[in-house]
Amino acid sequence: VDMATQLNLSDSDSSDLSDQSVFTRRSNRSLRIAEQERRKKEEEDPFVLALKYFSEVEAGTPVTGNDELENNLVRVEKVAFSRGLSPEAISVMLDFAMSLRMGNPCARVLKCLLPASVVPQEAVVRAIVWLTVRKLPISTQTLHFLVLVLFQCPFICHLLYLLTRKENGKPGFDIYFSGRQPYLLYLLSLYKVFCPELVTLSIPSRMKSGFKNHISPWKSALITVQKRNDMQVASSISLAFAVRDKTASRKRKHAHLELPSLSPVTITEPQAAQSSSRKLVPMQQIQSFAQLLQNMHRIELPAQMGSLLGSSLALQYLDCVQDESALLRLNFWLGYTLHEEFLFCSDGGANKNPEEALQFLNRLLSVQHFLQEGFNSSDAFMYKFLNVWDGSLLRPQILGLLSNIPVIPSSQIKTLLFDPLMQLFFTSSLFFKCGLIECLNHMLLKWLTWHSAYALEDDLDISLNSHTNITLSGFKDSVMELVHFVGRLASVGLQLEGCHSLLLSFILDFYETVCDTFLKFGLPLVVMPPPGVFYPAFFAADPVSVDRLAFIMHRWETIHLVQSKPWNWYLEYLFTQGFDGLKDFVQNSINQRVMMAGDGCDNVTQSQKLGSAPHIKQPLLS
Amino acid sequence: WNAERRRRRRRRRRPRRRLVSSFCYCLLFSSELWSVNRAWRGLAKGTLSYVTPLYQFRHTQLKSYSRQLSAFIAAEKQEGLAVEVGGLQNTFKVSFSVLRFRQEDPPKTVWCGWLSCINGNPEYLQSLPKDFTCLPLFCSKGAEDLSSLVKSWLQRTFDCCFGPLDINQTTLQWLAALWTNCHMETNIQNLKMIWTLPVLPPLQVTYTVDSDDVLDLWRSTRESSAEKSREAEDEVCIDFSEVTRFMQGLMSHFYRHFRVDLSAGELNQVSSALGSAKVNGKIKISSSRYLISIFSLLTECALLKMPI
Repeated sequence: VDMATQLNLSDSDSSDLSDQSVFTRRSNRSLRIAEQERRKKEEEDPFVLALKYFSEVEAGTPVTGNDELENNLVRVEKVAFSRGLSPEAISVMLDFAMSLRMGNPCARVLKCLLPASVVPQEAVVRAIVWLTVRKLPISTQTLHFLVLVLFQCPFICHLLYLLTRKENGKPGFDIYFSGRQPYLLYLLSLYKVFCPELVTLSIPSRMKSGFKNHISPWKSALITVQKRNDMQVASSISLAFAVRDKTASRKRKHAHLELPSLSPVTITEPQAAQSSSRKLVPMQQIQSFAQLLQNMHRIELPAQMGSLLGSSLALQYLDCVQDESALLRLNFWLGYTLHEEFLFCSDGGANKNPEEALQFLNRLLSVQHFLQEGFNSSDAFMYKFLNVWDGSLLRPQILGLLSNIPVIPSSQIKTLLFDPLMQLFFTSSLFFKCGLIECLNHMLLKWLTWHSAYALEDDLDISLNSHTNITLSGFKDSVMELVHFVGRLASVGLQLEGCHSLLLSFILDFYETVCDTFLKFGLPLVVMPPPGVFYPAFFAADPVSVDRLAFIMHRWETIHLVQSKPWNWYLEYLFTQGFDGLKDFVQNSINQRVMMAGDGCDNVTQSQKLGSAPHIKQPLLS
Repeated sequence: WNAERRRRRRRRRRPRRRLVSSFCYCLLFSSELWSVNRAWRGLAKGTLSYVTPLYQFRHTQLKSYSRQLSAFIAAEKQEGLAVEVGGLQNTFKVSFSVLRFRQEDPPKTVWCGWLSCINGNPEYLQSLPKDFTCLPLFCSKGAEDLSSLVKSWLQRTFDCCFGPLDINQTTLQWLAALWTNCHMETNIQNLKMIWTLPVLPPLQVTYTVDSDDVLDLWRSTRESSAEKSREAEDEVCIDFSEVTRFMQGLMSHFYRHFRVDLSAGELNQVSSALGSAKVNGKIKISSSRYLISIFSLLTECALLKMPI
């Protein structure tokens, strides 16, 4: 009946607005109808009804045996634990709990105050008012929960800061307390996050207290709700909860792989410049990119640089700032961790906890991928580690780290890289060989990319680790060395593995990259696949390899046509490389093309060449 | 002496304060000859670690560091209680100081440790930026939990890293040679070496040589090289090749008698009356002779462990 009357109303409304166009009238009507339908649904929604009950229930209603109360509470809990409560719901429930309309606020009610977004300021203020006015005898457990809920409101932290601050920065009042009161310690540790200079206390790092038993299920429920709502779980509470939970991680003798916590510098020099100049913002407080941009000029780096590896914001800042000391600190920590975990362990430490080592290396790889370059310490570690690596421990990660190594001068590349890799290559399985070729392919690609970017930047040093100024000729030498090395590896590898098509595929990938050196990256290098690679590809049983080889040859052809170098030069070059058979082959095909003169056709594919090629004079497999 | 006694009595009347640590650090980079006194003997004992360079370590702020470390240790020890830095209720007293050679042994130390860098490689030291202080050698003696607390405070404050220092074979061989050389002045009683051999089950060999015999061997090793260069008698200049020959002499002697080739194994421990050193980093030095050389060797050992 209500619906009908509403519809009638809407009809009468629309008929009165005769000057409006039909379209807008219809759209207004549909909007209004939708709105009314939604309101209807809300009114019937059990959750909304439950909230209504809690806001309207009279003081003095009995608690025990009250089925209505129980049902409504269950409904609220259900919504709270699945989606979290909206700010209005929070204020209603908090009001209900604190106004003692139904006896002492039970922990159950407070437990379900999981906010979906934020806790509104008015609710907090009202709750505090109730607290002070009524002088409630609250149990400590209840108080814990209350404190936690209140601190979900970012307003509270700011309020605390403002209350305790005078104009000249000195504290407005002292915080007195005595005895062991763990929840107050939590408050203080939170406060210390925001104003470290005002809290000159030494707060123990492991605060084991009764808090833990009550709050950990609540905390995990809160995190679940926030994650479901796609919220960043980066509120101030999560910072306080970053207290290391010793029971969670196994007690390890050498806990290298844990990143240090992002804590601000604790020691401030007595005559600090803080009072005179800008106030430094500790990195811990930066939660979003916008905040980073706002405070770019006054960010204070944390006490332990290793903690930056866990935060992409911090890494972005580091990339921009390029502070040598900060980077050196980070490199020291990173190098120390890698050495201790993989090099210095005499009892096979890495084998004992491979899971953590794997996660650590994955994180390091993602950081390097984010920054688009490696770290000095990880490079130094790799050179040492390659000599003792067995080729199977954490293979994908180690190969990933290897591909991030920057350009090595050609004088050192043999001892640092080639010798250990050769040893590993020839004593390993087919899959390792494929993996290593792929890794060297990525390495070449990264060298070329870095060089092209660096060359464009001229005087600007864009890299994090200030690579040694390698000249263009030095760079070319190194690239040549690498390509020749892969050629040697590939030739012998194919012989060992019987020209396995998977290995051949990875090798041909590499040579496609080599083709790109000139076309894409502008480096004037011409390196052909060696005979040991060319002929297996040429005579491969599967057509894919032959096609890819043809593609590579075609690209070389394109280069030389672009370069407009005469064919003679190309042939001479082939001859010097020992490609007698190939030279003859190409010579014949050129003669063929010259005979079919006037085509102007550039795309002479291998198949056409094959079709028209006369017999080869010299044996191909020499 | 009376003044000392008076001072001691006054200390006893103060309220119960346990001296947690006498934290000494040396910042000597050059090889001056010191007159070392007995204070070193008590301190040169403990477990060694290597330390990556400390960031913004100011030797002018030692008092502030003492206060902070004291508060940190107190807070960690008394769980759940935040401790005010510099407050009067601390029951631990920490003192940071530069080692002065006339300093007495502080009484009732519960824990003691020191950081140092002696004759460190100047190239490496100069390559570090000015903010960094390189004190790669750390030695701690006392309760393990206090050691870990001090280390974690240092890690947090100066962004450095601690790792166990394994004294390498070269250093142990050097120590054997140095102590043998000392026998000319002080009686070392005997030279004891412990080797482990990589067999199953692992074999441990304790090789003890009488001091006179080992000195004879050492002298004979040196004679062949002393002919080449006539150095002054009082200036001891030992080449590592002499040390190698000395060790080879010892090992071949063992082989002749027992048919076991010690060079296939590892030297784990070297000890004499002047001190002992184990491969796991535990040292004990009872004599001040060659102290600088020994600490230079250990500093070099620690610098080898630096990640970059």
